[in-house]
Amino acid sequence: MRVHVDETKCQGHTLCAMAAPDIFELSDFDGHAQAVAGDVPPHLEDAVKAAASTCPEQAIVITG
Amino acid sequence: MAIEGDKDAPVHFDRHAPGYIHEFESTTHELHGKCPIAWSDTYGGHWVASGYKEVFEIARNRTLLSNHHDLEDETSPYRGISIPRPDSGQKTRGGFLEMDPPEQQDYRRILDPYLSPAAVARWKPMAEDLTRAALDARIEEGSIDFVDDLANIVPAVLTLALMGLPLTDWEIYCEPAHAGVYTPPDSPDIVRVGQLGMAMGMRMTESIMALRAHPRPGMVDALIQGRVCGQPLSDADIRDTLMLLIGGGFDTTTALTAHSLEWLSEHPGERDRLRNDLGGLLDSATEEFLRFYTPAPGDGRTVAADYELSGRQLQEGDRLWLSWAMANRDPSVFPDPDAVCLDRGANRHTSFGLGLHRCIGSNVARATFKTMVTGVLQRMPDYVCDPAGSVHYDTIGVINGMKHLPATFTPGPRLGAGFDETLAWWQERIDEQQMAAPVTRASAGTRQQ
Repeated sequence: MRVHVDETKCQGHTLCAMAAPDIFELSDFDGHAQAVAGDVPPHLEDAVKAAASTCPEQAIVITG
Repeated sequence: MAIEGDKDAPVHFDRHAPGYIHEFESTTHELHGKCPIAWSDTYGGHWVASGYKEVFEIARNRTLLSNHHDLEDETSPYRGISIPRPDSGQKTRGGFLEMDPPEQQDYRRILDPYLSPAAVARWKPMAEDLTRAALDARIEEGSIDFVDDLANIVPAVLTLALMGLPLTDWEIYCEPAHAGVYTPPDSPDIVRVGQLGMAMGMRMTESIMALRAHPRPGMVDALIQGRVCGQPLSDADIRDTLMLLIGGGFDTTTALTAHSLEWLSEHPGERDRLRNDLGGLLDSATEEFLRFYTPAPGDGRTVAADYELSGRQLQEGDRLWLSWAMANRDPSVFPDPDAVCLDRGANRHTSFGLGLHRCIGSNVARATFKTMVTGVLQRMPDYVCDPAGSVHYDTIGVINGMKHLPATFTPGPRLGAGFDETLAWWQERIDEQQMAAPVTRASAGTRQQ
């Protein structure tokens, strides 16, 4: 599984970092998210799916 | 044949009506079923977007909807976010919430480094200590009003701290910030509330002038130093912005906290479950209370381009209400939407708005709420609210709030200094350590706790 945050959609709601803190990090300046690693370790796949489902802007893109 | 909810067969939707609070759920599901985007005949006519799909589709469309409030042209349909427009008679607009990019984005860039998760995390010890002191003031008595004695105080003091204003000024801002929302224009109290609002405005102007002369860190300083579209801001621009931040920072968090504490009192089993698993449940419970109570139930917009939405024709110049509160009850996204489920997953509620105008204070709101609820659950675990004394807002068109929420509990010991002493202690720390300075580190990011 691969994941990235569409920066044109992310508005800094920060819910992804609550759901999967090991995968998403937030900008110190505005709280907008990015994925620290594109490849998701198998044991974090469920957390990443939860993050995607909770994103109000639907900015999290999961592939593979 | 006319289609219900179209301009020639409007619905009658009045969220300011006194009865609306009691009919909210039935009205919501009726609109979802018949016309999730509907033309209402109220307030000069406006669209009401209640379906999640409709709200999601248009709220994030940067060219379709405008927040702009035109103060120059009285005939312009671009009237900002309030429906109906306020009859204050004053030419003011609601800060950057009544602006479009690029102006709005410039304001956000100025203020974001004070309100980001990393910036807000720095205030956690103070929020916890203020909560401790507020609860200390009532803990030996065994009775408290969760609105007056806690939820009005902590968000107010914290907001002033972020702005770089004197903490002891919180009382000047607190009552007008709440009463200005819940007092209807025909109330006998409106004159007094108006006077309180004037006193607040005067203190704000004095503070801006004082900070221009003697700068100290905080959001006011950022606005004084900042440039919007290349231009410095006037005192009036700064005052409008501060009014927006106070309006957004005080009453909303108070409303969320009061409603949540009331619900937890009515559901003692769920309260114990939350208290025994704060680490596992507090995040999801917070999002669920945000969804269910939606403190700021919606925002107005002006349609800036013709657009077809779910079979209705939006036309440029139409006014439109984005109902975050009704979208949050859409069963197609939230199963069993009228139930509070503390561990609800996939909770992509719209309570902080969607798109460019996402509530800039959302991180402060969540942190302050969690701190207050944690303090209550840990120190007053058997509290029982008194339904006879609790007072909800008569109308919930602007904020779904509460005026009073008295409760009783088994008394306990104080843990620290009194409230005034605590404020003075934190004021010294803020001044010495420049606590209200912006986040300036250019690190890659901060993991949330």
